[in-house]
Amino acid sequence: MTRKPLCILISMLIFLSVALSACDTSPREVCIVLDTGGENDKSFNEYSLKGAREAAAEMGLDFAHVVSSSPNEYGTNIENFVEEGCDMIITVGFLMGDATAEAARENPDVTFAIIDAAYFPGAGCSVDASDCYTEEGGLGNVTSLMFAEDEVGYLAGTLAACMSETGTIGSVAAVEIPPVVRFVTGYQNGAKAFDPDIETLNVYIPDFNDPADGKQAGETQIYNGADVIFGVGGNTGNAALLAAHEAGVMAIGVDVDQYNTFPDVAPSLLTSAMKNMDVAAGNAVRAYAKGELLPGILMSNMANDGIGLAPFHDLDDQVPDACKTAVNIAASGLKRRVVDTGYTP
Amino acid sequence: METTTSIPIWKRIWDRLGILGAIIILVLIGIVVSFIQNQQVTTAVLSSTIRQSTPLVLGALCGLIGERTGIINIGIEGQMLMAAFIGYLANVYIGQLGVFSVGMTLFLAALIGIATGALLGLLLAFMSVTLKMDQIIGGTVINILAIGITGYFYQVGLTTQGKLQPIALGRLADIPLVGPVLFDNPPITYITLILVVVVHYMLFYTRWGLRSRAVGEYPSAADTVGINVYLMRYVNTTIAGGFAGLAGVFLTLEAVGSFERLMTNGRGFVALAVMIFGKWTPFGAWGAALLFGFATAMQTQFQFMGNLTIPHQFIGMLPYLLTIVVLAGFVGRSRPPAAEGIPYEKE
Repeated sequence: MTRKPLCILISMLIFLSVALSACDTSPREVCIVLDTGGENDKSFNEYSLKGAREAAAEMGLDFAHVVSSSPNEYGTNIENFVEEGCDMIITVGFLMGDATAEAARENPDVTFAIIDAAYFPGAGCSVDASDCYTEEGGLGNVTSLMFAEDEVGYLAGTLAACMSETGTIGSVAAVEIPPVVRFVTGYQNGAKAFDPDIETLNVYIPDFNDPADGKQAGETQIYNGADVIFGVGGNTGNAALLAAHEAGVMAIGVDVDQYNTFPDVAPSLLTSAMKNMDVAAGNAVRAYAKGELLPGILMSNMANDGIGLAPFHDLDDQVPDACKTAVNIAASGLKRRVVDTGYTP
Repeated sequence: METTTSIPIWKRIWDRLGILGAIIILVLIGIVVSFIQNQQVTTAVLSSTIRQSTPLVLGALCGLIGERTGIINIGIEGQMLMAAFIGYLANVYIGQLGVFSVGMTLFLAALIGIATGALLGLLLAFMSVTLKMDQIIGGTVINILAIGITGYFYQVGLTTQGKLQPIALGRLADIPLVGPVLFDNPPITYITLILVVVVHYMLFYTRWGLRSRAVGEYPSAADTVGINVYLMRYVNTTIAGGFAGLAGVFLTLEAVGSFERLMTNGRGFVALAVMIFGKWTPFGAWGAALLFGFATAMQTQFQFMGNLTIPHQFIGMLPYLLTIVVLAGFVGRSRPPAAEGIPYEKE
C-alpha cells in the first residue's frame, strides 16, 4: 500500500523529465576533445581550445572540453560528449581520425569537425564512394580543418638554411603522422632549395609526451653540428627547443607563435611555423552557429593566410635582410603555387 | 714453488679478467677508434648514452634493493612518475615563496621528490609485509595511483624555477671525449654513478647487505638468527623507493625542467628489465642500462643518416632487439632471489 504513491510519484517525475527534455531551450553546445598533449601543450591543443572556446562564447553557445589521457580514450570521450547532448564536436588531431569517423557515422545528427585529418575514399569511407563527405560516404556531417604544413615548413626550412652557419640544421619530430611529416618534409626541402649542400637531420620519436627523449634528440643533433632546431610535436618537440636554447643555438617553434607560449626559450626562438588553429577552429564554430558549416575539407594555406611564419621577435636584428628576402620570395612563390614543397601524400 | 711460470701470461690475464674484461676492452678500443673517425658523433652518442641510462640505473637500483630483500617492486614506474610530479610542484611552489636561492629551491624540491618515492616504497612495504598482499597487485596499485593522481592534479601554466645545471669538474672536463661525456654532467648523473658503487659495496660488503640478502633468500633462517625480517623489508623497500624518487626528480628537475602527464613513458618497466638483465647486481644493472642507453642513442644517430633506407620504426626497435639478443645469447640464466614475492609469516 505504501508503495503505490511512490510509484505514481516516480512515473510522474519520469514523465516530467521526458517532457522537459523535449522542450529543451538551452543553447546548443560545442564540445572539443583534445589529444593527449593536453590543454597546456603550448601549441596545438591549447590553441584549438582557445579558438573554439572564444568563438562559442561569442556566438552564445555552451562549451565543454575534455583531454584524452591516452589514445584509447578518443572513442569514449567522443561518445560521452554525444550522450551529454553536444551538438557540435570538435576533435583535435590526426590520431582521432578513425574514432571521429566512427562516431560521425553512428550519430548523423551531430556535427563533427576534425583538425588535421581528412578522409578519402578508401581511407575513412568505402572505396566505392565518390566523396566521403556525403551521405553516401557516411561522413556528410563532418568538416575536416586541414593545414598546408608543408608550405610553412618550407618557409621555416628556407630561413633555417639561410641562418645556419654550420651548414647543418635539425628537426625533432614526434609521431610520424601526416601533419608532422608535412612539416618535416617541407622544412627539409625548403632548406635544400635554399642551399643544396645543407645537411638536414631529423628524428621521429613515437610519443608526443616524452620531453626527456625530445631533449636528448635535440642535444644529439646539436652535438652533430646542427645550429637551428625545429621542434615539431607537442611536449616532445618543445623539449628540443629547450635543448637548443640551453646550447645557445637557434630554435624554431611549431603550430603557434611559441614566443608567447613558451617564454623559457623565447630568447633563442627564431620564429615559429604557425598553423592558425585558433582561427580555423573559431571560424568553424562561428560557421556552425550560423548554420553555414559545410561538410568537406577546409584547407588553410599560404594563399588564404591560414598558416605562416611568426615574427622574429628578439632575434629580428640578427636575421640578415637577405634571409628575410629569401623567405618572402618563397612565401610569394607558394602563394602563387609556383613553388613545390616536394610533399606527396 | 714457481708454478705460475708454466702458465703463459695471456692466460693469466684472461683468467683474471674473464670474458667480461675482454668485452670491456673491446668496447674501449671501439670507442677510441670511432672517436678518431668522428669526434662529434662519438661524443654525441656517448653523452646521450649516459643521460638515457641515468633514470634506468636508478630505477633498477630501486628494483634490486627491494627484490634482494624479497619484495618485488613493479611500481617503480608509478614511484618515478609521482616523484617527478611532486618534486616539480615543490620546485614551483618553494620558488614562489622567494625565500630560498634557486640552488636551495632545487635541492629542497629534489629532497621532497625523493621522499615521495620513499613514501610510496613504504606504502608498498605496508601492503606486502603487513597486509601480505600479492606484491604484483601492490605495485600495480602504485602505478595506477600515480597515473591518476598526477593526471588529476596536473596544473596548467606553472612556471618553473630553474633546473639542475651541468657542473664541469675543473680540468677534467677539458679532456677530449671523456671530459664532456663523464665530467660535465648535472648533479643527479654524478650521484647515480656514485650510488652504483655505494649500493654494490653496501649490498656485498656490509652487515646490512648480508642481512638484506639473507632475508631475500631464506627469511626463516634469517629470522632464526635474530634478524627482524619485517623491519628489514620495510626499511629496504622504503630506501629503494627513494632511488626511484631520484629517477623521477631526474626527469623533471634535471632533464627537462617541466612535468607532463605520463612523462616517465615506461622507463620504470625498462628499469625492471635492466635489473634482471644485470642479474640483480648494481654493476650488472649499470652495464645493462648503459647498453640500453647506447642502443637508444645509436637509433637516434641512425635516423640522421639520410641514405639509410630502413624505415625508422625498425631502427627504433634497436634498443629492444639488442636487449633480447644479449639477454638470450650472452647473459645466460639469471636467478632471482629465492624468497622474492613470498610474504613472510612467522611460524
